[in-house]
Amino acid sequence: MTPERKKVMQHINIGCQLQPALHVPQHAPFPDLIDNAHFRAYTRAVHDVGGEPDVPIQWEEKEEEVWEHNTFITCEVLAWRGVWNAEERRRRQNVDVGQTQYLGLSYYGRWLLTAARILVDKQYITNSELSDKMHEVKKRYE
Amino acid sequence: MSKTHFDREHHVKKATDVGDPQCFKGEAGPAKFKVGDRVRVRDLPSLFYSRTMVYTRGAECTIAELVYESPPAEDEAWDNCDNPEWFYSVIFHQKDLWPEYPEAYADDTLETELSERWLEAV
Repeated sequence: MTPERKKVMQHINIGCQLQPALHVPQHAPFPDLIDNAHFRAYTRAVHDVGGEPDVPIQWEEKEEEVWEHNTFITCEVLAWRGVWNAEERRRRQNVDVGQTQYLGLSYYGRWLLTAARILVDKQYITNSELSDKMHEVKKRYE
Repeated sequence: MSKTHFDREHHVKKATDVGDPQCFKGEAGPAKFKVGDRVRVRDLPSLFYSRTMVYTRGAECTIAELVYESPPAEDEAWDNCDNPEWFYSVIFHQKDLWPEYPEAYADDTLETELSERWLEAV
């Protein structure tokens, strides 16, 4: 298996671990298995976690890294140029990403992902241009 | 219906030298509530986006201040500023929000901002 395929297989294996679970695994249930309460739970805005039961996590102070500062500035510039406003940015970063990415990615990771997404969604760049550019930049480090 | 032409400078034109939310001043009409009114947070559907915390839904609170006029977050999140409304600073008793909140701290409060569409008179 090529190194590239290994990476793909690794991705597939991680992806399948990210199934939402209600203590029993859920996968494409029939419509009549979803009652109103569960429909509401599945379609909730995932950033609205205040009051949800959870285990305590340790508070750790972390200095911002250069790429995080750059990401922040990129997102602010997008606002100054009228590409989005702060509320649209929050909606996309905190809700549209879905629960798996909301909980699974780092804070500025979601900012960066969303900055790319808005440019594609609003057709400032195409998805294929983004893909080509990412590939080109990746090559510089190989 | 989608807008035929979206002006991405619409906000900067309106807010430059004025500020946001100041640029929406006078656009929400008369406020429905006044300071001291008891209100309840409506448990409206919040499909796609909301900033009205679930833990406040259905709870009663007191209007502490009329803070500003602005589009509700649910519309502004799509850059729609067509229907500004009043925002209120409201105060809850913590024990009205959390069923197991200790009686010893019965005077504890929580203050937050909600827009008018989320509030109804008690």
